[in-house]
Amino acid sequence: MRWFYNILDVWKNELIRSLTDIGALVFFVIVPLLYPPLYAYLYNNESVREVPTVVVDNCHTSMSRDFLRKADASGDVKIIGHCADMQEAIELIHEHKAYCLIYIPAEFQKNIIEGKQAIVELYSDMSGLLYYKAVLSACTEVSLEMNQEIKAQRLVGATKEQAEAFAYPIKYEYVPMFNTQSGFATFLIPAVLMMIIQQTMLLGIGMLLGDERENKRKGIMAEHLKGKRPLEILIGKATGYLNIYIPVVAYLVCIIPVLFGHIHIWQWKDMIAFMIPFIFACIFFCMFISTFSYDRESFIVLFVFMSVPLLFMSGISWPGSAIPPVWKYISYLFPGTFAVNGYVRMSEMGALLKDVHWEFVFLWGQAIVYFFLTWFAYRKMYKKWKWFKA
Amino acid sequence: MLKNSKILAVSKREIKRLLTRPLYVFCMIVAPAFGYVFFTTLMENGLPVDLPVGVVDEDNTSVTRNIIRNLDAFQQTKIVEQYHNFAEAREAMQRGKIYAIYYIPQGTTKLALSSKQPTVSFYTSASYLIPASLEYRDMKMMSEYASGAIARATLYAKGFTEDQAMAMLQPIKMEMHAVNNPTLNYSIYLSNTLLPALLMLLIFQITIYSIYSELKEETSKEWLAIADNNIYKALFGKLLPHFFVWVLMGLFYLVWLYGYWNFPLNGGFLPMFILMILFVLVCQAFGVFLCGAVPSLRWALSLATLWGVLSFPISGFSFPQMAFPPALRALSYLFPLRYYFLIYVDQALNGISFGYTWFYYVCLAAFLALPLLVVGRLKTYLLEYHYQI
Repeated sequence: MRWFYNILDVWKNELIRSLTDIGALVFFVIVPLLYPPLYAYLYNNESVREVPTVVVDNCHTSMSRDFLRKADASGDVKIIGHCADMQEAIELIHEHKAYCLIYIPAEFQKNIIEGKQAIVELYSDMSGLLYYKAVLSACTEVSLEMNQEIKAQRLVGATKEQAEAFAYPIKYEYVPMFNTQSGFATFLIPAVLMMIIQQTMLLGIGMLLGDERENKRKGIMAEHLKGKRPLEILIGKATGYLNIYIPVVAYLVCIIPVLFGHIHIWQWKDMIAFMIPFIFACIFFCMFISTFSYDRESFIVLFVFMSVPLLFMSGISWPGSAIPPVWKYISYLFPGTFAVNGYVRMSEMGALLKDVHWEFVFLWGQAIVYFFLTWFAYRKMYKKWKWFKA
Repeated sequence: MLKNSKILAVSKREIKRLLTRPLYVFCMIVAPAFGYVFFTTLMENGLPVDLPVGVVDEDNTSVTRNIIRNLDAFQQTKIVEQYHNFAEAREAMQRGKIYAIYYIPQGTTKLALSSKQPTVSFYTSASYLIPASLEYRDMKMMSEYASGAIARATLYAKGFTEDQAMAMLQPIKMEMHAVNNPTLNYSIYLSNTLLPALLMLLIFQITIYSIYSELKEETSKEWLAIADNNIYKALFGKLLPHFFVWVLMGLFYLVWLYGYWNFPLNGGFLPMFILMILFVLVCQAFGVFLCGAVPSLRWALSLATLWGVLSFPISGFSFPQMAFPPALRALSYLFPLRYYFLIYVDQALNGISFGYTWFYYVCLAAFLALPLLVVGRLKTYLLEYHYQI
C-alpha cells in the first residue's frame, strides 16, 4: 500500500501547489474563467448588420428607387447617402463612412421596360468579407423579388406562379442546418473553448515543472517528491491536474454555451464520455511537453504564439479538407485538434459518440502514448535528480 | 561619442545574451518564420478547393446525373459520395465526412418537364463557416444553371435570342465587384494581419523577457551600471539589437506577402515599410510599458499574453469591428494591431491617398510615448526589487 500513500502525498502537494502558485493559477483558473465570456461578448452580434452603404442612382426612376428602398429595408445594409457620381461615393468609402456601393446605371428602367437585362453593380470594400456577403445577399433578395413581378408582367396572361414555373422549371431551396444564422460566435467559440483548455493547461503545467527545476538548481528539494517512484509522481500530479480541470471543463462546456445561448444539442452521456479521453490526453500531453520546460516563464514565451496556428490547424477556421497534409499530420500531435472537431459536431450538429468515434479513439490513443512518454521522461529526469530509490 | 559608447556597450552585452540563449533565437527568428510559412501555405489556394460534399439523388435520371456531374466540376466542390437517403447523408455530415448535401427528390425530372416545378434542396452546416458559405454559393449557382438550362431551351425553341432569353429569365442581374480581392482570396483577407500580429505577440514577450530576466538572474544592476545608471540608455542599448532583428523579420513578411505571394500592394512599398518599422517600435515600447506597469516577469508576460491574444479578434480583421458591442468597439482603439489593420487596408489593399491615413499613423506613433509614463518606476524595480515568483 506504500505506493498508494506515495501517490496520495504527491497529489495533495501538487494540488496545493497549483492552487497557491499565483502564476499557475492565472492560467488554470483565471484565463479559462474570463476569456470565453469576453470572446462571446465580442461576437455577441453573430453577424454584421446594417453595413453602411452609399448609392449612385443614375437612373432616378420609380423602379430604381423601389430597388434601393427594398435594399435599405433589409437588415443587411443601410443606405447612408445618395451620391451624384462615383467620385463622390468613392470619397465616402475612402473616409470609411461606407463600406459598400450600389450603382444603378442610367438605362436601368429603360432596359427592364424594353425586355432587356438590367444590371445593378455592387462594390464592396474587401477589408471584411462580411461586408461583401451583406451587400450581395441583400441585393440578391431584392432582385429576386422584383424579377418575379417583372416576369409575371412579361408573360402576358400568366399568373405569378405560372411565370415562376416557367422561369424556374426546377425550384430550389436552401436549408441552413445547425448554425442556421451563420453566426460567427456559434462558429468560433466552441473551437476557442477547446483550445483554451489545452493551452492554459500547457502553460500552467509548464510553469509548475519549470518551478521545480529552478528550485532544484537553487538546491531546494521538493520534499514531497523525495523517495517516490516516477510513476507515482506522474499519477499523483495527473490526479491533481484532473481535480482542477474537471470543474474548469465543466464550466467551459456546460455553463458558457448556456449562458450565451450558443447551440448545445449534445447528449449528456456522450459528451461526458468524449470529454474524459480529451482531459486525459490533454493532461499527459501537457505533462510530457512540460518536461522541456527549464524555468518558470519561458513556456509562456514559447507557446502563446502557437495558439493561433493551432486554432487554424484544427480545421474550424480553415476547413480540414483543405489543410495541406504536412500541417494536418502535425495537427494530429495535439489533443485540441480532435477535441475541437468532436466537440463542435456534438454540441452544434447533434453528433452522437458513434459519430465522433474516430476522434474518440485518437484521443484515447494520445492519452496512452503521452502517458508512456511522460513516464519515460520522468524516469530520466528524476533519476538524474537522484530523488527516488529505484 | 562618449554618450553613445555607453549605449553601444549595453548593446554589445545584449547581443552576447541573444546569441547564447536558444530561447531568443527560437522566438525571434524560428517562430516568426514558422508562422509566416504556416499561414500562407495553409491558405495557399486562397480558397479551399474540393470541399467534400454528399449527394442524395432519388430521381437518378440523365438530367439529375448531369446536374451532379456539373456540380462536381465546380472548383470548390468535390462530390465524395452518393447516399441512398437523406438520413444517411445527414449522418455523414455529423461524422464530419461532408460539409454539404445536395438533395434531388424522386420525380424531379418528370415534374420539371411537365411544368409542375419540383424543388431540389441543398443543406450546409455553418458550424464550419467557410465551407458552408462556399458550398452555398456553388450549389445555388448550380441550381440556377439547372433550372435555367431547361427554361432557356424552351425559350430558344420559341425563337428567343440568347440575350432575350437571359433578360426573360433574369430581368435584373447583380454584378458583384469585390474591390482589390476579386477572387475572395482568404489568405489576402487574413494573412495580411495574422503575420504582423504574430510578430507583435513575440515582440511583446521577448521585450519583457529580456528586461525582467535581468532581474531574475540578478544582473539588472550590472546592466544599468554599464549605462551609467541611465535607464534610457540602458533600455535603448538593450533593445537596439532586438530592433534590428525584428525589422529584419518584418522585412521578411513584407517581402513574403507582397513579393512572393503578390498580395495587393496598391499604395507602394514605402507606406507599408514605414508602417512595419513603426509597428515594431510600438510593440517594443508596449513591452517596456508592461514591464513598468507590473514589476514581475510573470505578471508582465501574462498581461502581454492577454493583450496580445485579444488583439487578434479585437483588431477587427476577421469579424468587423462595427459589429462589436459599443464598449469593446471603444476598447479596440487601445490595441496597436487595430491601427496596423486600418493602415494596411488603406495603404496596401486599397492604395488610397495618404491623406486619409496619416491620422492612423499618428495614433500608432502615440503608443511610443507609453514607456515615458513608467520608465522611472521601471528603474526603481530594476535596482531595488528582487525576483519573486
